[in-house]
Amino acid sequence: MPREAYRKRLERLRDAVVAMGDRVYEQLDDAVTALFTDDCALARDIVETDATVNDRCLEIERECLDLLALHQPVAGDLRFVVAAFQIVTDLERIGDLATNLAEYTLASTGSASPLPDVDFERIAALALAQVDRALEAFVTDDAEACFAVADRDDELDARCVRVAERVVRTLVELHVDHESNGEQRVGHGTRTPPVADVIANVSRTLVIARDLERVGDHAVNVAARTLYALENSEELLR
Amino acid sequence: MTESSMNTTTADRTESDGATSSTETTTGESDERTNAAWREYSFAGDPVLSVADLNVWYDDDHALKDISIDIPEKSVTALIGPSGCGKSTFLRCLNRMNDRIKSCRVEGSVAFNGQDIYADGTNLVELRKRIGMVFQHPNPFPKSIRDNVAYAPRKHGDLDRGLVPRLLGREETEKENELVERCLRDAALWSEVEGRLDDNALGLSGGQQQRLCIARCLAVDPEIILMDEPASALDPIATAKIEDLIEDLAEEYTVVIVTHNMQQAARISDQTAVFLTGGELVEYGDTDQVFENPRSQRVEDYITGKFG
Repeated sequence: MPREAYRKRLERLRDAVVAMGDRVYEQLDDAVTALFTDDCALARDIVETDATVNDRCLEIERECLDLLALHQPVAGDLRFVVAAFQIVTDLERIGDLATNLAEYTLASTGSASPLPDVDFERIAALALAQVDRALEAFVTDDAEACFAVADRDDELDARCVRVAERVVRTLVELHVDHESNGEQRVGHGTRTPPVADVIANVSRTLVIARDLERVGDHAVNVAARTLYALENSEELLR
Repeated sequence: MTESSMNTTTADRTESDGATSSTETTTGESDERTNAAWREYSFAGDPVLSVADLNVWYDDDHALKDISIDIPEKSVTALIGPSGCGKSTFLRCLNRMNDRIKSCRVEGSVAFNGQDIYADGTNLVELRKRIGMVFQHPNPFPKSIRDNVAYAPRKHGDLDRGLVPRLLGREETEKENELVERCLRDAALWSEVEGRLDDNALGLSGGQQQRLCIARCLAVDPEIILMDEPASALDPIATAKIEDLIEDLAEEYTVVIVTHNMQQAARISDQTAVFLTGGELVEYGDTDQVFENPRSQRVEDYITGKFG
């Protein structure tokens, strides 16, 4: 086959994107674990290693630019290189969101209990599964799987919206008791949580839901770029 | 000019013979994405050239098979494909340059503004004035720059020059000066040769010689300019000048260009036709579509370098 070195370079680009995807998936998985187990050591690791993911993204972007400038890919090859360039940006953003989750773990005082009936483990599992499916679609060149990722994003979105509604309900129902010592507590009595803790907990709940929802959006972007590379279809990009 | 075109033809056919067997398997593969999808290609406006069911043989060698294609006016149409695919043969069919080759037989029709150029009684001299040609290697006459540009108009009687008109006081010096300047300007060469029109053209650089050949072609007021790899013998700077010139020319003329350089086709053409080994036209469409999302898998494999 002519242009063998060029074709090998395209294959290496594919491998590099997949490797970065795997790395980001692990990062997100660890961030979710750290969040649910209050594992500050693991959270610190995630924050510290985010720079390597960013470096990897820049390396792949440079490789895409080299391929475009030096080999002038066309047709399916061109779409693949352009898609890879975009996909690594989405993967890098997922890495940033994993870092956010790790930072929430580090910032947590541990004094506030999570809001009742917010199933973050289910939401996190959905977000992780979306990233996994999007990467699998890229690896296997599976157009159907790309559409499946887009379809399943609705469930993740709906769950995140319900979390936001739950947060609003909590705030509306908040009954603040002004104690004689000036400390505000939710409900009556000294054993109820302080208002400041509840506010912190509510804010944390909101940003976690927002970040996991964004992970899902980036997974859909990965699937959309994969579909574009495969079939020149912009259907999922809209 | 005759000898040069004959030589090119012989070389092309030799390459074709060698290439046919080596890529036989590729052409034989099923191609679900082809189905002659290029036949559906349409563009706004009328075609200046309309080729229908064109078949060309060199003796028993079937060099072009059932080519049907419409070429829009005032645009650049690129013909690309591997060596021996028949793209140069096709180009030469468009102004009957293949008539000069004894073994060549052409069937089908090529309508130029609605008139079949292969119809009996076609005036070939007039045809080639209207459909000019520029070759791979610049081939200026060993005469002055001025004489190169004015040669054909004088020959065709469009300019009264020479001893007899001079004696009769009818020499059209001013008209010739205007013509030479206009053609050299249109060929983006005027500023480089303005003060030395009487210098020998062979003293120009390769890129300048090629632009002089284009100026010479423009001097007979053509409607279509056929170019057979006009920049392949030039360095990158001279190539860039020719490419800029081709884009400018397309505002006034119809340009059909054969090129081995796919990036060149992608850069300068509005439409691209892809010929593959065996003399088939496999895809024809807007250049961005052909290079971003070709309909044919064989074209995709060719332009991405998976075979060729």
